[in-house]
Amino acid sequence: MINLIVIVISAIMFGLVLVWWRWPAFRSWIEAPKYFMLRQEHRFDVAAFRTRPDANPGEPQ
Amino acid sequence: MTNYSEHSSDRRERGNAQSLGVLPSVESSLIRAHVFASLVAVVISALFGILVATKFTFPEFLGGHSWLTWGRLRYNHTQGIFFGWLGNAFLAFFYYAVPRLANRPVLSRKLGWLLFFIWNFTVVVPGWVLVLAGFSQPLEWAEFPLVVDAFVVLAFILMVFEFVLPFLKARLSDLYVSGWYLIGGIIFTMLAYPVGNFVPEMVPGARGAAFSGLWIHDAVGLFVTPFALAIAYYVIPTVTRRPIYSHFLSMVGFWVLFFIYPLNGTHHYVYSAIPMAAQKGAIVASAYLGMDVILVVTNLLLSLRGSSGTTSKDVPLRFVWFGVISYLVVSLQGSGQAFMPVNRFIHFTDWVIGHSHLAMIGFASFTALGGIAHMWQRIPGTRYHERMMNWSFWLLAMGLTLMITDLTIAGLVEAQVWETSAPWIDSVRAVGSYWLVRTLSGLPILAGFVLFWVSLVTGPRSSEAIASATIRPGAENDAAYDNAPEVSREILSTSWLSYAHVVAFGAGVGFFALSFLVLAILPGKELADEIKRVAPVTMATLTAPEQRGRVIYGREGCAYCHTQQIRFLAADVRRFGAPTEAWETKYDYPQLWGTRRIGPDLSREYNIRSRDWQLTHLYNPRFVVRDSVMPPYPWLFGGSANQPTQEALDLLAYLQSLGRARQLSGFEQQALVPSLQPAKSDMAMPREASARATPPSVPIAMTGGYSDSAPVLHPASNPGDLQEEVSRGETLFAANCASCHGATGGGDGKAAASLLPRPANLTAARFSDQRLSSVLWNGIVGSAMPPWRQLPTEDLRALVAYVDSLHLPAPAPAAQETASLEVGKALFAAACASCHGATGAGDGPAAAALAPPPTNFHLKKPTEQRAWEVLEDGVPGTAMPPWKSQLGEGERHALVAYVRSLYDTPQEGPKQ
Repeated sequence: MINLIVIVISAIMFGLVLVWWRWPAFRSWIEAPKYFMLRQEHRFDVAAFRTRPDANPGEPQ
Repeated sequence: MTNYSEHSSDRRERGNAQSLGVLPSVESSLIRAHVFASLVAVVISALFGILVATKFTFPEFLGGHSWLTWGRLRYNHTQGIFFGWLGNAFLAFFYYAVPRLANRPVLSRKLGWLLFFIWNFTVVVPGWVLVLAGFSQPLEWAEFPLVVDAFVVLAFILMVFEFVLPFLKARLSDLYVSGWYLIGGIIFTMLAYPVGNFVPEMVPGARGAAFSGLWIHDAVGLFVTPFALAIAYYVIPTVTRRPIYSHFLSMVGFWVLFFIYPLNGTHHYVYSAIPMAAQKGAIVASAYLGMDVILVVTNLLLSLRGSSGTTSKDVPLRFVWFGVISYLVVSLQGSGQAFMPVNRFIHFTDWVIGHSHLAMIGFASFTALGGIAHMWQRIPGTRYHERMMNWSFWLLAMGLTLMITDLTIAGLVEAQVWETSAPWIDSVRAVGSYWLVRTLSGLPILAGFVLFWVSLVTGPRSSEAIASATIRPGAENDAAYDNAPEVSREILSTSWLSYAHVVAFGAGVGFFALSFLVLAILPGKELADEIKRVAPVTMATLTAPEQRGRVIYGREGCAYCHTQQIRFLAADVRRFGAPTEAWETKYDYPQLWGTRRIGPDLSREYNIRSRDWQLTHLYNPRFVVRDSVMPPYPWLFGGSANQPTQEALDLLAYLQSLGRARQLSGFEQQALVPSLQPAKSDMAMPREASARATPPSVPIAMTGGYSDSAPVLHPASNPGDLQEEVSRGETLFAANCASCHGATGGGDGKAAASLLPRPANLTAARFSDQRLSSVLWNGIVGSAMPPWRQLPTEDLRALVAYVDSLHLPAPAPAAQETASLEVGKALFAAACASCHGATGAGDGPAAAALAPPPTNFHLKKPTEQRAWEVLEDGVPGTAMPPWKSQLGEGERHALVAYVRSLYDTPQEGPKQ
């Protein structure tokens, strides 16, 4: 049973690495969330900036 | 217009997951509430911890009241950190991160307040109060009572609705790794919590321990670690304003963690009765986990590359960085600890306590503190005092470093002593100074938490300044966020990949179920079969008083210092007796194996110590063991050790039942049949000659049975050497004997009043070297006098020399005594010989049935006064009756003279 688990986990990891290496589109797909997350954070920061009493409604863009 | 601080009434934001035009609302008020609840909880929990640590150095400190006893405070320390501190801190982070990660608000503000109420006012506060009042569950990381556990499960179900549902409505291909950790942590903890808290109540002993082991590790692996990593993965890119190094690696790390972590559980029970296959599985999983942690930490540190300046300047990020480094160290440490050559040495020691503090403070708390400070700066209207926050960091870092270093060394010292044959109390003495340092190291940690709190309520209002610094309007900043490569249309149109998360999630749940199958259910079945095969059919359940005593044992936290799990290791067997077999625990609901040894293992307590000794020890351990750090339990008594309440008697009954089934079963004889032996051939079995030297069902060092071959230890004949031995013996006597025999050997130590028979007045008799050696080697059956054969021979010889020195040389017998000797001899033959033997050698016909045995007057010469007292009053607690009413004064004088005349004369019959 333990051997089976080790083999399965190793196979899954190997498969993931193989997909990542052979399929560039997968790379951009799997990496997309880290940019989305930053964009989201930026949007919230901008919103927070705009709520400042002295904030210029036109800034930032 | 986005309303950042208030719940938006605009429901359109829920409808279109891809719309980036409207920001979801953030429940700032709930964030504040949980942050303050977390800080209140961490300060209280740290105080619990400092009290607990202080009691190691000053065991009597606040020791008079049941609500403030060590065990209950210890329960509340860990549960407070788990639920009160980290739970609230993580919940605060959820309210901050979910709207950003899911682009959806949390489900409901009302649900959020309900969750806040449940978490704090049906879990944390009642849990603390109930534990202090004596209602608890004696299982590691599951100490709150079952009624509280029910609310914990309810809270996790509500968390699924509040935090997970928004993700299901979002576009999963946008789901950042922090979101994955958040979802995984909530769902898997919701699944694991009942298994770890309820199942051991229904599945006994070793089988239940398999489930407990899972939860001990899942509490860290499925609750603490995912949420802390979610914070780390969130704070690092938002502070550096750069994406993490690799989202692919982060996802690999995420899935390996959830695949592997549940499989680690049984590594808490290496060398135990749990089947070897499960132990090996846990060890292999531990090694895998170490590799996963290296992957995760490498990814996080690569995400910080080129940002060393930011890391040193931004205090929240520095907190997170410290947490990440601690995660690497503690995880590799954990993997190493699982390996058998390391585990056999450091398990149960303070090394493990250092390890757990590094995990819960160094990794989880530092990361949570970083997360709190990070989001606090970004919540409108909050205050933030950066300099104080900086001080908080350094106080916490210095305190923790000192604590971990100290506990790690203490653990190595304990382990070294445990490998020897030195008395258990020597290991306690050896680490006493380390425990003091550990207590002191807790003070800067507590101060750091307090300063952290203060830094959030003082200083300038922060969010405005942070917003200005973070946004930096301009092209450069925008480019940093907008340079994301477009996701390939090719891959978005690949149908199976659109279900990849669902497939992966199903695989995660599958592995989670597999962990229970592999580490709990299958080993449980194997154990059940073994128990059915080898357990004696006559094995009785505990009596009602014993069962009540077991509850008290659990309530007072005894299992947190005393294991009931003798491992299949020669060192364990030599010290404590035969290794604990699964069948011995078949009635243990829940199991009380324990994971720590401050005091000795109690699995073989049956017939080891006298009733009086046990009660005196419970009333005040230092009455019988001078340097014990065990807490006193005066509330179990009516004012003295002689006045036990029913609870004390119940606890005594339970203690004296431990190991009874094993001794009465004849299992040792059965175990000699090879076909019945558990298949543990690859473990260090106690088949070594040293472990099998005497029947191992009882601790060899504690009793070993009576040995005629006890060495006769003669003090040095050279006056100079003798003086040195006496001096050394005096020190040993003060450390080990004075609590019963008194500082001057007068039999008037603190424990004397509650021991029957009373400890010997060593000044009132002369003992032969043979007698003293035998008593030190074998103890005295039927009394509180234990064997001391585990002491080095030189120490035993020094004790003989010292006790010899306590007796002043008697004057030569008066001439008139000669005449009375014949009278005394006749009286002795008529009244005393049935017990003391015809020659006074303590070998009369009745002697074999008496405990303690009758005195051998060839080896012990009482003073005239002492002999007279004994004849007048008898010896309470023994079979020696008073003879005042049966013998005249002259006859008693004659007997005194006669028994004193026997000393050092040839004897017949067996020695005593």
